Amino acid sequence: MNPQLLHLGQISAGAGVGLSAVGMGIGVGMIFASAIQAIARQPELTNKLQTLMFIGVALVEGVAFFCAIICFLAIKG
Amino acid sequence: MFPHFNLNEYIMQHVSNSHEWHLPFWGPLPLPGILTLHALMMFIAATIVLLLFLVIYRKEDRVPTGMTNCLEMFVVFIRDEIAVPNMGEKDGLSFTPMLCTTFFFILMMNLLGLIPLFATATGDVNVTGPMAFLIFILLTLGTLARNGLKGLWHALIPSTLPKILIPFFLITEIFSLMVRSGALMIRLFANMMAGHMVILSFLGLFVLFGWVACPAILMAVFIYCLELFVAFLQAYIFVLLSAVFIGQMYHPEH
Repeated sequence: MNPQLLHLGQISAGAGVGLSAVGMGIGVGMIFASAIQAIARQPELTNKLQTLMFIGVALVEGVAFFCAIICFLAIKG
Repeated sequence: MFPHFNLNEYIMQHVSNSHEWHLPFWGPLPLPGILTLHALMMFIAATIVLLLFLVIYRKEDRVPTGMTNCLEMFVVFIRDEIAVPNMGEKDGLSFTPMLCTTFFFILMMNLLGLIPLFATATGDVNVTGPMAFLIFILLTLGTLARNGLKGLWHALIPSTLPKILIPFFLITEIFSLMVRSGALMIRLFANMMAGHMVILSFLGLFVLFGWVACPAILMAVFIYCLELFVAFLQAYIFVLLSAVFIGQMYHPEH
């Protein structure tokens, strides 16, 4: 392990990924919470709601991954 | 354990494109000319899709069994849940082949990346970019060819808009088309690349710290299973969103 001086790009990349992970965690948690409540109300719609739930998760995770890629670029330059 | 191990270089080398294919016993296999590793993976995925549908799929059975049944399950799912509800009866049925091709191609590229010696072609912007650009072409030039200039106008701008807002709305709608296609590209690319980077990071932790990092291997296996699920999900999301966007442009509700 070689210790090296962190420059601003690396610090901001870490902070950026952390913040986007907070947003993604809250978003995915809300999606799952509402999906579970809706399934509890009407169990016969389980399949449709499950499909919508996965679509929501993919969209929210897409935003978080987009931020992760930008932060990864920030480490370099 | 390994003194000259650079984690950064290890991850970037496995995730990015290269002109050689590193096989275990024969060493690095140099690829000729313009063929790079990800292009080779695209060719292999296309060959597998063609093999699946031209050779393995048996049309003469009355009742489909085995791989035929599995492929039909996917195709019927795409037709009945993705194409027809979003694009109507006529357009849905005529767009199903294109959506099925996209789905199976992306799925095969994603799954090939999970096999240890192969690379993920969709983990490269140069692969997902043209696919998203094709969807963009379908959205703009397709609407132009199908409904004419008036159809494009009606798809972009609702009819009840006051005349003063039209330039602003036009700019926003064109920008939104480009951003949605860009989001299609980045969603697929970032999901695939980030998944592989996480797996490689965990394995690199084991190399860096030795036997105390054994739980990292278990985490890597867990993330690997998650990657399998994400491979299917991202292919499905790409195809679903393309169908939704095309349906919105070809049959505008307003």
